[in-house]
Amino acid sequence: MKNRGITTSKIKNNAPAIPVLVWVGFFAGVPLVFVLVISFLTRDSLGIIVLEFSTENYRRIFEPVYLKIFFNSFLLAGLTGVVTLVIGYPVAYITSKLKGRQRTLTIGLIMLPFWISSLLRTYGWRILLDYKGIINNILTGLGITNEPVTMLGTFAASLVGTAYMLIPFMIIAVFNSVDKLDRSLLEASYDLGAGKLKTFRNITLRLTLPGIAGGFTLVFIPALGLFFISDILGGGQTVYLGNKINELIGRGRNKPLAAAMSIAMVLFITLVIYIYTKVSKEEVGGLL
Amino acid sequence: MDRNLLEIDGVTKYYGDNHVLKNVSFDIRDGEFLTLLGPSGCGKTTLLRCIAGLEKIDSGDILLKNESIKALPANKRNVNTVFQNYALFPHLNVRDNIAYGPRVKKSMSRSELEAKIGEVLELVKMKGYESRMPQELSGGEKQRIAIARALINKPDTLLLDEPLGALDLKLRKYMQKELAHLQREAKTTFVYVTHDQEEALNMSDRIAVMDKGTILQIGSPSEIYNEPADLFVASFIGDRNISQVTVVEKNDDHVTIRLGSNVINVRCSNKAGCDFKSGDKAYLAVHMDKMRIACEQALDTLKGKVGSIHYAGSQIRIEIDVDGSDFTVIEYQKNECLCGEGDTVWLSWEEKGGVLLPLLPLPGGLSV
Repeated sequence: MKNRGITTSKIKNNAPAIPVLVWVGFFAGVPLVFVLVISFLTRDSLGIIVLEFSTENYRRIFEPVYLKIFFNSFLLAGLTGVVTLVIGYPVAYITSKLKGRQRTLTIGLIMLPFWISSLLRTYGWRILLDYKGIINNILTGLGITNEPVTMLGTFAASLVGTAYMLIPFMIIAVFNSVDKLDRSLLEASYDLGAGKLKTFRNITLRLTLPGIAGGFTLVFIPALGLFFISDILGGGQTVYLGNKINELIGRGRNKPLAAAMSIAMVLFITLVIYIYTKVSKEEVGGLL
Repeated sequence: MDRNLLEIDGVTKYYGDNHVLKNVSFDIRDGEFLTLLGPSGCGKTTLLRCIAGLEKIDSGDILLKNESIKALPANKRNVNTVFQNYALFPHLNVRDNIAYGPRVKKSMSRSELEAKIGEVLELVKMKGYESRMPQELSGGEKQRIAIARALINKPDTLLLDEPLGALDLKLRKYMQKELAHLQREAKTTFVYVTHDQEEALNMSDRIAVMDKGTILQIGSPSEIYNEPADLFVASFIGDRNISQVTVVEKNDDHVTIRLGSNVINVRCSNKAGCDFKSGDKAYLAVHMDKMRIACEQALDTLKGKVGSIHYAGSQIRIEIDVDGSDFTVIEYQKNECLCGEGDTVWLSWEEKGGVLLPLLPLPGGLSV
């Protein structure tokens, strides 16, 4: 009798989640199952998928060419996380100290780029970074450099573009956690004899760690797959996961390998999210 | 007790156009329990934050042990604060919270720190809680840890900002006793901020009553209670009947006043002075619980008519009308004359309970 009561209430409590689960299950789960199945199949010479079980695709991921692609992608995504954190944290911190209209306006400006197509914004960076572009004009015009600097087609250009595209996520994630920070804790730290730097390290940084981890995750994951930025700004010089998968599906006519790489990427992202939930839940332990 | 530990010298503070502290000057003696008492917005918390170094003062000076500390940042002042919400670091357990001060200042060796943590936890009766996290503690326990975290630094003075505000009534009463006891045990000067007169009267060696950024009176609890320096203090401390009266004549130690058809002798406050002339308007302030009701006329009594009688637990509140002035009398047992509504009675009070005060504009928010 008692057990049945609990079961019915459990169903009742979770009832609102059912439509969402069905939706996500159908539109995200089913395609993912397709990808998983295809990743274990092979293709014929025309690129048509053949129903023949094989683990060949997964073996190929471990070939140096593909390992390098994984490495490049993680390097780009990781550095994007670092760059957006270093630039985004102070922005978020200062924004959280603003009041009223200034605050609303600043948050609005941070979100504003989302109103413009990301492709368009990336082409905008081409104009800035071009060999005869604005930045080079300024550099040579001011005599800082004699020759224009090659910026397009470099790893740095991909990094700048990716970081630019994703920094709002970092700022908003850090902002949310800095904003929740109880200022009396900072005062308590000063009161107990800690200076500004120690207070920042021991209290502010430590208590905004969940925001930092969240921001890093929000930036890292899309950075792995943003293939068009490295195409437009990186000139396809370095191959990243996104580009490679995109290419394998299209010109490469190797959907099974693309599927295997996608599954590997999903697994890796799952790992990153797992680490994130660990970090953000962790409450115990000090930095002192 | 006589040595001045802290001197507040003409401290002025503005928040924008808001003049929060107006030329505040007073001394805090070494080893005393001093309470800053006043209604919300009177500047008491600001004054405490100025002493802590969390607010900069606009003019004046603050001297700790005869040395100016006004230019020192909070982390360089040897004073510690117990915050209203305790402000325990949520990511550190009890031990690390308490160890925070000595660690950031690198003021103790590891073994010394360990011993001191044990000592302060003993003092606040929280031994065995070392590895608890703040969110696992009750309000009263958090409070004790916040005090321990402050006291381990051996501050010259401990500043407490309404630390009992968040606790329920029963715990608050218990902690009042505990705090007063702790203050003597720790031999540390306490500067305590509250808006609760009962807390202030219960715990303090001295009370400084504040209103609108100034200190109106400093004195022992009994002084503040019985010898108010002005009408604000009289109306803020204790429940008093305050009525406007006319001075008939001033005698050596008494003043003869008229209230309606009654002419009686009353005393004036030592603190407020006795500067009355015949015909002056003045206020008569009498503690409600110091009043007595009699059925027969006697010397220096006020004739009145019983309005209504309310039974509130152990108290009986009797409303009496004296020629248009309302008096409330609080009795703790059945009164002698067993008066009923509409009866004519005569009111008197213990000498200490009533006082005559000069006419001053009543501060806003307080009604007579």
